[in-house]
Amino acid sequence: MSTEWYLVLSALLFSTGAVGVLIRRSPLVILLCLELMLNSSNLALLAFSRAHGNADGQVFALVVMVVAACEVVVGLGLIVAMYRRNLPLDVDEARVLRK
Amino acid sequence: MSATTYGWLILAAPLAGSITIGAGWRKLSPQAAGILGVGAIAVSFLSALGALWALLDVPVEERQMVDSLYTYADLGGIKIDLSILVDPLAVFMALTVSGVSMLIHLYSLAYMRSDEGYRRFFAYLNFFVFSMLLLILAGNFVLLIVGWAFVGYASYALISFWYRRNTATAAGMKAFVINVVGDIGLVLAAILLLRELGSVDYLTVFDRAPQHFAVNQPTAIAICLLICVGAFAKSAQLPFHTWLADAMEGPTPVSALIHAATMVTAGVYLIARAHPLFELAPTAADIAAFVGLTTLIFAGTVALVVTDLKRIIAYSTMSQIGYMIMGVSIGAYGAGMFHLMTHAFFKALLFMAAGSIIAAMASRQNIDRMSGFARAMPFTSGLLVVGSLALAGFPPFSGFFSKDEILVFAAERGGMYWIFAIGGYVGAFLTAFYSFRIVFRVCFGDPCEEAEELIRTGLPAHGPPENPVSGEPEDVAVGFPGADHHIAEKNWEMKLAMGTLGVLALLGGLIQIPGVSHLLESFFDGSFGDSKLYTTVQVPTGTAWAGLLIGALTSLLAISLAHHLYISDRSLLARIRAESSQIHDFLAAKWYFDELLDLLIYRPLTAVGRFFDGFAERWVVGGVVGGTVAVVRRFGSLTRTAQSGYLRFYAAVLSTGTVGLGLYFLIASS
Amino acid sequence: MTVDFNAPDIDYAAISPQIALMAGICAVLLVSVLGKATNRNLVTSTSLLGLGSALGLMIWQSDRNTDLVAGALRLDGLAASAAIICIGVAIYAALLGVGEPAFFENGQSRHGEFNALLLTSVLGMVQLASAQNLVALFIALELLSIPLYVMSGFARGRRESLESGLKYLIVGSLGSATVLYGSAFIYGGSGSTDFGAIAAALGDGGLASDPLIGIGIALLTVGLAFKVSIAPFHQWTPDVYQGAPTTVTGFMAVATKVAAFAVFVRLFEVALGPAASNWQPALAALAALSILVGNLGALGQSSLKRLLGWSGVAQGGYMLVGLLVASEVGVNALIFYLAGYALMNLAAFSVIAIRERESNLGDSLSAVEGLGGERPALAWALTISMLALAGLPGTVGFFGKLYLIEAAVDGEYTWLGIVIVIGSMISLGYYLRVIAAIWMRSAPDPASLATSALGPIDGGSPEGEREASGSRLLIVPLALVAAAAVFFGILPDPLVDFAKDAGRDLIATVK
Repeated sequence: MSTEWYLVLSALLFSTGAVGVLIRRSPLVILLCLELMLNSSNLALLAFSRAHGNADGQVFALVVMVVAACEVVVGLGLIVAMYRRNLPLDVDEARVLRK
Repeated sequence: MSATTYGWLILAAPLAGSITIGAGWRKLSPQAAGILGVGAIAVSFLSALGALWALLDVPVEERQMVDSLYTYADLGGIKIDLSILVDPLAVFMALTVSGVSMLIHLYSLAYMRSDEGYRRFFAYLNFFVFSMLLLILAGNFVLLIVGWAFVGYASYALISFWYRRNTATAAGMKAFVINVVGDIGLVLAAILLLRELGSVDYLTVFDRAPQHFAVNQPTAIAICLLICVGAFAKSAQLPFHTWLADAMEGPTPVSALIHAATMVTAGVYLIARAHPLFELAPTAADIAAFVGLTTLIFAGTVALVVTDLKRIIAYSTMSQIGYMIMGVSIGAYGAGMFHLMTHAFFKALLFMAAGSIIAAMASRQNIDRMSGFARAMPFTSGLLVVGSLALAGFPPFSGFFSKDEILVFAAERGGMYWIFAIGGYVGAFLTAFYSFRIVFRVCFGDPCEEAEELIRTGLPAHGPPENPVSGEPEDVAVGFPGADHHIAEKNWEMKLAMGTLGVLALLGGLIQIPGVSHLLESFFDGSFGDSKLYTTVQVPTGTAWAGLLIGALTSLLAISLAHHLYISDRSLLARIRAESSQIHDFLAAKWYFDELLDLLIYRPLTAVGRFFDGFAERWVVGGVVGGTVAVVRRFGSLTRTAQSGYLRFYAAVLSTGTVGLGLYFLIASS
Repeated sequence: MTVDFNAPDIDYAAISPQIALMAGICAVLLVSVLGKATNRNLVTSTSLLGLGSALGLMIWQSDRNTDLVAGALRLDGLAASAAIICIGVAIYAALLGVGEPAFFENGQSRHGEFNALLLTSVLGMVQLASAQNLVALFIALELLSIPLYVMSGFARGRRESLESGLKYLIVGSLGSATVLYGSAFIYGGSGSTDFGAIAAALGDGGLASDPLIGIGIALLTVGLAFKVSIAPFHQWTPDVYQGAPTTVTGFMAVATKVAAFAVFVRLFEVALGPAASNWQPALAALAALSILVGNLGALGQSSLKRLLGWSGVAQGGYMLVGLLVASEVGVNALIFYLAGYALMNLAAFSVIAIRERESNLGDSLSAVEGLGGERPALAWALTISMLALAGLPGTVGFFGKLYLIEAAVDGEYTWLGIVIVIGSMISLGYYLRVIAAIWMRSAPDPASLATSALGPIDGGSPEGEREASGSRLLIVPLALVAAAAVFFGILPDPLVDFAKDAGRDLIATVK
């Protein structure tokens, strides 16, 4: 299978993630969608790594996984803090700061 | 220490004095502020002496020293240093300015004593001296302009020193506006120089100019004329002279310091400083000389009829500066500077004497009301006579030598320059006449009421405080002149200052006597050695003495005429006045110059202004500017509306931007 | 497939600043766990010790020009200058944080957490400034950002703070994902993650017009533009600035911009330099948009932090001009501006922070009304800062803008120079409003000044209240930055030399 197909799949995943961020209102789901975007990048990295025949992309992908985990931890921490203050878990409600 | 170190010291002392007094005026007692002010200038004067001494220590050709404290800006080929140039010209000016300033500060210690703004006065005065010295010592045109503008501000602040007196604030504004016109000329000149020669440093500019400009090249003429605009505005030459007479609203020491001895001579200094440029543009130099000649005659005639004591001296100042401008423009740099120095001595002295008399007159300044002060104030009157003799060019007083040196130089150049010599002697006649008009009116005759009171009680007269010009009643609180008046007879500070100046006015001319001594001329070789005119036009001693003889006769003739008219045969004066009332009115109206300016400049401008007010203000400003503001507001609120707070909207904008950029790059790279 | 593993030769002297920061993080965490929880002075001192030694080591190493850790990082003038500014800003933030009411929760000091996060973020910045590999860039970017997300939501009791944390996290992660995806494309196009190798592939391989590279550049631009708040990727800026605790905002506003611009410069001038003609017009459009949007948005703001957020958008646009002309003059102008920007913004944010603690008016414009009469020292600092941001002569901002305009004209982007001037003119409309409020209005009702910003329930504490008076200590560093903003406006030379040092090695690489 040529690299193009992996790229197409990766682009589809990335777009799905992006659309998810745009249309979902729950911060949890948005976090998931962000993960999807990061992982679509991973897919692209791995595909390129194979195509070029060097390991740079694979190392990059491993690093991304760690970073993604950190992001999720912080995100969940914030969501828990909001939940404990009884703030609505809806990003459209979070608009005290505007104009 | 090197001459440049002294140069920085000259500047540092008055600046420190001004800042200390200005910042600490709440804590300082008035006495302390005054002593600080005088002390700062004394340090400056001593440093100037040090600089002179250091300069004389080096060979003539090395007497141009530049020292840069730091580079202020260095961008795109423009390099601006905070640098000073110490050369004979600068040191000479610094000595004159700091020396006379020191004496005037001393005089002010007593003269301003009862004023509420005593500390403010010394802070301003020190700031002025700093600015003036900065102007003198600047090593490039940028710093010169800074000093130039500071001096303009200081003059404004000091003219309007009694800020609750409406006439004073109006005069201050007038002076400031006209000075700013001059500043603009100077700035434009500096920009042109930078564009043409790629530098604003004096020495670089003067070095490159002869290669770059052909003689009388239009650009060179334009630069010189722009410099002249600056010089004329500061030195009150036609047609920028109208502010100087009004500037007499300031306290008398200010008139003595700024509007006689120092600031107004800045234009003379500037032309002397820029002489390599003027020699490349002889046309501009000739124009400047003609302006000087016209001013000297014009102001001399006006001084014949004005009755306000200080204004007479102010017109005399314009006239004398006319001599100097003429001198430095025709190439008599040394003579011009020589006259600048002697003039500083005797004119400051005259103002101080006038101040003392005005104090005795309870602030009234009309000479028609004054008479017989010789007995009431012998010291003041004596020095008034000394100052007048020097001004009238009576031998062997200082003005006698310095004025004639300019005129014989003009005669020696010959050709059309004879006009300057002849005109100068005519002016000298006028000068001697009006200066003795003051003496005969003020000192001689029966004592007037105030003089009588002074003789009887030993105390200066006191009246209700009023504005000497408009006669409005005034207060004596802050912003108005103080309650008490101080006369030289009762204050040693004033006596000391006036006495010193009297000696200088008497003997100052002796440093340069044709065939006997030429101290100044050889000293100035370091600055003007490169000038063709200065080195080639040598006045033979015989010619010089002939000139002196003519000068002495002119002066004697004018003084005796004045004596005849004002003392011996007063009926003749009345007859002349009656028969030539038109001329008198013409002169008293200052040749209708203010009216002419009003007609030629002010009215057309206001008409244009009204037009713009009606048309432009409504359509252009109201429409375009107002429209722009509205558009800016509209977009501002649009931007803020986009800031809806919706997180998903932000993400959408971000994504749209990404897609847009991605498309752009796809197209750009294909 | 066998992989030979050779441990890279590590130049410990050159990475000693990073080691010092790491040691600092551990020490701060240990001290805050082992020591008394409320002992914020001890924690802050520890943190300052770590930052101070990192700063010292960085200055010691600042004349190096070398690859580190197998070429992942590079220590050169740019990296050193950016690191020095960032660490300096962090030291300032640590001092500012001592009395920050948001760092107390139920009477408990949370300075340990704050300082650990601060140091981590600074570590990320130091690495980002020296990253010369896409992997290192990504790691450093996240190392910098994730602590900032937490710090923005630090005042857990305040809805605004949580909201700003969440917003920053989500939009920031979106930005990171974009950077990552862009990196993947660049890697795919050029076959390497190393900046030098990418430049070689773009230059010699003629790949500059490869669509993969094109999309990669676009995505990387978005990600970095997001970090330096360039419109239209700026919208998080005002919200997050306003919601985050002021100490954090001050740190974030300045240090992030410095580090992100440093890597922006390195990535675009070194790695993507051969494709400059592609990205220059795009960046020029973004710069112009940013200048206009930022300045327009700032008009009519009544929250000072928001106002500075918008102004940051505009200032980012100015600085982008220095980057996009891709010349030595441009880089020098950019670094000069960044250094000046740090000075002026720190002054402004500390005045806001101090006023926030003294009055209960928060960061609104009315908190500084009448400051001229009440607290002349604060008033002068804020005035200087506003004048410098507006770029008035006599302040460092003037020379900064002058150099940027010169760079624009020099790089044949004269129209951007004009946009800068127009932007500055619009900006007077809001900077002068602040100055007018300081000097021309009378002080608000003293009753509103009496108490601390937040009650205990809102995340403030009696401890914070007591500390409000401790803000006097801040006057010294505040006076220093304000004085420096004026000093470099009169004597720009030292800062110009600093900026030239920063640009020297980079330019040598490009040429």
